[in-house]
Amino acid sequence: MKRLIRLRVNGEPVETAVPPNRTLLEMLRDDLGLTGAKEGCGEGDCGACTVLLDGLPVSSCLVLALQAEGREVVTVEGLAREGQLDPLQQAFVEEGGVQCGFCTPGMLLAATSLLAANPDPSEQEIREAIAGNLCRCTGYQKIVESIRRAARRGP
Amino acid sequence: MSREFQVLGGRAPRVDARDKVTGRALYAADLKRPGMLFGALVHSPLAHARIVRVNADRALRLPGVKAVLLGKDVPQVRFGVSPARYDETVLAQDKVRYAGDEVAAVAAVDAETALAAAALVEVEYEELEAVLDAPAAMAPGAPKLHDMYPGNICAEVHQEFGDVARARGQAEVIRQDTFTSKMQSGAFLEPQCALAEFDHAGRLTLWSATQTPHYVQRTLAMVLGLPEHRVRVVKPYVGGGFGPKASASSMEIATCLLARATGRPVKTVFSREQVFLHGRARHQFRHEMETGIRRDGTLVFLEHRAVLDGGAFASFGIATVYYSGSLLGGPYRLPNMKYDGWRVVTNKPACGAQRGHGAVHARALFEQQLDLLAEEIGMDPIELRLKNVMQAGDVTCNDLNMSSLGMRECIEAVRADCGWDEKRLERRPAGRGIGMACGFFVSGAGYPIYRSRTPHCTVRVRVDENGGGVHVLSGAAEIGQGSDTMLATITAEALGIPLDLVTVFSGDTDLALDLGAYSSRTTLMTGHAAKEAAESVLRQILEALARAAGEPAEDFSFVRGLLHLRGAPYLNEAIRAEFQKEHRGFGGLPAEGPLTFREVSRFAFLERGLIIGTGQYRPPPLGGGFKGAAVGTSPAYGCSAQVAEVAVDLETGQVKVLRITGAHDCGQAVNRTQVEGQMHGSMSMGHGEALYEQVLFDARGRIQNPNLSDYKIPTALDSPELKALIVESHEPNGPFGAKEVGEGGIMPTIPAILNAIRDATGVVIDELPATPERVLAGIRKLGRPR
Amino acid sequence: MRLPMFEFAEAESAAEACRMLAGAGPEAALLAGGTDLLVRMKRGLLCPQRVVSIRRLRAGRPAVARDGARLTIDPLATMTEIAADPLLREACANVAAGARAVGSPLIRNLATLGGNLASARPCADTAPPLLTWDASVRLESTGGERSVPLHDFFTGPGASALRLDELLVAVEIELPAGSSGSAFFKLGQRAALEIAIASAAARITLDRPGGIVLEARIALGSVAPVPLRARAAESLLAGREPREELLAAAAAAAAREARPIDDLRASAAYRREMVAVLVRRALAAALASAGGGQ
Repeated sequence: MKRLIRLRVNGEPVETAVPPNRTLLEMLRDDLGLTGAKEGCGEGDCGACTVLLDGLPVSSCLVLALQAEGREVVTVEGLAREGQLDPLQQAFVEEGGVQCGFCTPGMLLAATSLLAANPDPSEQEIREAIAGNLCRCTGYQKIVESIRRAARRGP
Repeated sequence: MSREFQVLGGRAPRVDARDKVTGRALYAADLKRPGMLFGALVHSPLAHARIVRVNADRALRLPGVKAVLLGKDVPQVRFGVSPARYDETVLAQDKVRYAGDEVAAVAAVDAETALAAAALVEVEYEELEAVLDAPAAMAPGAPKLHDMYPGNICAEVHQEFGDVARARGQAEVIRQDTFTSKMQSGAFLEPQCALAEFDHAGRLTLWSATQTPHYVQRTLAMVLGLPEHRVRVVKPYVGGGFGPKASASSMEIATCLLARATGRPVKTVFSREQVFLHGRARHQFRHEMETGIRRDGTLVFLEHRAVLDGGAFASFGIATVYYSGSLLGGPYRLPNMKYDGWRVVTNKPACGAQRGHGAVHARALFEQQLDLLAEEIGMDPIELRLKNVMQAGDVTCNDLNMSSLGMRECIEAVRADCGWDEKRLERRPAGRGIGMACGFFVSGAGYPIYRSRTPHCTVRVRVDENGGGVHVLSGAAEIGQGSDTMLATITAEALGIPLDLVTVFSGDTDLALDLGAYSSRTTLMTGHAAKEAAESVLRQILEALARAAGEPAEDFSFVRGLLHLRGAPYLNEAIRAEFQKEHRGFGGLPAEGPLTFREVSRFAFLERGLIIGTGQYRPPPLGGGFKGAAVGTSPAYGCSAQVAEVAVDLETGQVKVLRITGAHDCGQAVNRTQVEGQMHGSMSMGHGEALYEQVLFDARGRIQNPNLSDYKIPTALDSPELKALIVESHEPNGPFGAKEVGEGGIMPTIPAILNAIRDATGVVIDELPATPERVLAGIRKLGRPR
Repeated sequence: MRLPMFEFAEAESAAEACRMLAGAGPEAALLAGGTDLLVRMKRGLLCPQRVVSIRRLRAGRPAVARDGARLTIDPLATMTEIAADPLLREACANVAAGARAVGSPLIRNLATLGGNLASARPCADTAPPLLTWDASVRLESTGGERSVPLHDFFTGPGASALRLDELLVAVEIELPAGSSGSAFFKLGQRAALEIAIASAAARITLDRPGGIVLEARIALGSVAPVPLRARAAESLLAGREPREELLAAAAAAAAREARPIDDLRASAAYRREMVAVLVRRALAAALASAGGGQ
């Protein structure tokens, strides 16, 4: 019933056996121990489970693990390099873009994808890029400021 | 303020920020224990029904199922929030009281099996007539939910301060208005989750996404029949709470019972739908207010009636119905106030506390009335408020003592920052409006939920025996509001050391007592205890040093971790030499300059042994002697003023909030970035409640929108520019003068937005949320051209 | 939330997908973006024994191909691709706008145009814009291919002309001659993550910039059991000079054609009223981009 799949997660090759009904989110959290992606709703409404799939942010609760076969997945655990926070993480730390932290991994990945495509986004473009990532703590103000700060600083 | 602080009042990053941006921060659902099982609950599909028969045979036969608990299998001990209203059992006994009521609990080897087994539990119901709103519940002959609540009234309040009947004769302009809100969801991003495990000695540990480990511990001990010391509740990182996670739940207790029944760890995670079914968020309110003023704007009286639809159980409801009345006592001088409040039970999910507990919608109506009254007497809304505003030292008619109150400063701050005076006068495009409002909130409830002389918190600060820094051991609940950072900051400030020398351990009932994260209490109360503990540690360290140095202890201090004697850097060669010798082979040792905290604290430990400072906090006796006087009392009050600017589409009724400018008096700011963050969060939640949020029910009491698609909180695209202005006063009862910012900031948001909508359209919104349809209906009623 | 168990198959070609569907009936479900199917499966509304993924059929093709006046859109293109497609943005801007109005970036990176149409929701954001271009869909099965005009495709809430053994393989638009402009407006409470309370798409084709209306199309979302053409409103405009009063009259006619219901998002009466507003705005915007009006 399980099928062996190969993919790359945070740059590393991964081989794992999953049943067809396992979502990418469940595989990351339960099979690979990457609990950075969170389940906030399970229906694609909140963005807490956002990961990058071939570079694009998606709700990993709405992707089958089997659909990730042969693809490239990046989770929040893959952002820091050799213990160094990346500019977005650093900006979230410094600007107060983090409160409870539950939306943070997803926000960071949505923002990572934005800055990769558009290194100098306007405030409106930032807000559009994170429109699928709900946050109940910050009113988004400091999250937007964090992303702007990271953009100014560059990669 | 006069004193210059070293770390307090700065913008240091949160102590947990790095963990949270790297995905390392662990939340309850991220935890695993060896041999762990998964729990699931069976919920009633009916709003009100007698349980005729429950059969778990099919569920038990499913391979992988380890236990099924039914009502008869669980302790019959009743629990809840207020001991006088303990009305819940872990699982429904004779009947179910709302669509979602827990009927059975299952443990199995994985989550899928547990859910499949839950679906196999057969329950036969005899449906009873349900009461689905407050009028139906209060009607004569209405079906009764609980024997203990005649007339379905779970609590009522009747209070009068001053003489309203007489004051009515003195008022020159009187308005009477009503306002209705809808039941809400906290909509925190992290669904509740609990993981329970008994060790071999029979001691229980529960990891739970809770705001109040202490109350959960007490409830577990009470229901499971264990002494408190045999129960440990640990709160991992929590993904927001806002109130609904501030009490023990059936799910938590059932998870413990499943762990006891199976002898294995059990984890239960709520789905988003279950978050809605469990509820405990803001009540549905209906307010009627009659407010009278003189033509010069002086407030004369308020007569207020409120009915709270609270769902199936009491939860926080008694406190809620008291807060609804008592928190209108300020921030304006109001000599006469009468309040009658009823908190009613209905066959819907129970309501409880949510940010701004009980007071948000009362405030929303009252602040709209102030605008309407100001208009009637031709006065600017800000002037009317300034005319009546209280100041530090004032006591409200219901005995709330404003020991510090920067209300006037907050009003002036937003007025200047948003350009109020100019914007009110300028000709604005059609549909543009500007509105303001004020509010205040407790900085910690004056009394615990159960009657007790208990301290509200204890804190130990310990010098790390192995040298280098201090540990803060606290039971406080970091739920995203920043309490760990606050504790680190206050401890560092009290010791005179940098933040990175402080490590905070918190959220664990084994570490310390703490009532938890509710009523905006942690900064004032736990901060107080941390300060006291840190000061004790400092004293002990400096006493040890003083003996060796031959100088009086009080002449020493640390400045950013460096030792000073009477203000000058101080070095003791012998202490440094000993430290060097102890650390042969270590790099990065202090070599020149004054002694460091690391050296001095190590020396003090070698001299005296274990150095622990303890601190605790219990508020002084507060409030008057009248019934219910305790609710609303607090050692201090935070206050807020906000201005909202909106654009209303006059053809569709859509409201876009363009900007909210808020000012909040938080006493001395502990961390400015975090203060702003709390203000932003409050404004955002108020924005959502004003325009979008409502739990909708069908005719049989089932939730129609138990998801984050149809229960709408603002997205980044909806959110206005939020401007937070920090107004600092010195709160004499707060640590370093600090007080709340967690909830006070939501008080003005809804009325500021509604006042702006009225400014834009003339429409008085008397029912939330202000959906496009509702706003447009208001515009139509005024007869504006199509 | 957990998915029920199913068998998973991945088709490498349309023909293979058709073979997998043939004879399977409701036991098989097609998985494209998954944003609709997986949610319904998690909620227990659907429980297919077999899920056939067709994502690989997309395989590097451009989202939209143009051959003369004919645009062929790959139904497996994601909403993100449709929203950003330069051909669509140039020629059929309201289709790109409809795709952009779907959910959120996270959803648009998964959800496909074909899924949006095949799920046949009255609120599908890409349906009204495509209706204004007289789009048709190509449906393939082991028995062959057929083309169905989109206005005949939707048959009820969640129901369409798509047979259980058929695959939606192309969406086709024949661009009209003349000077065309189009627009799409969606009314929701929030600016993202919204299911439309009502939506309206319009396309106006003028004989020349500043000229008279050769052809007008108006389509409505969330106000009838299906995405709906407002034909009476359209006919008011054809052959006329597009004055403001005429646009308003057409908008009012469209409101009369709507068949809205009360639900948790809005009342029928409000929806009907909003149709008039949205259609008037869509017509005005379409006219402006067609080079008409002032």
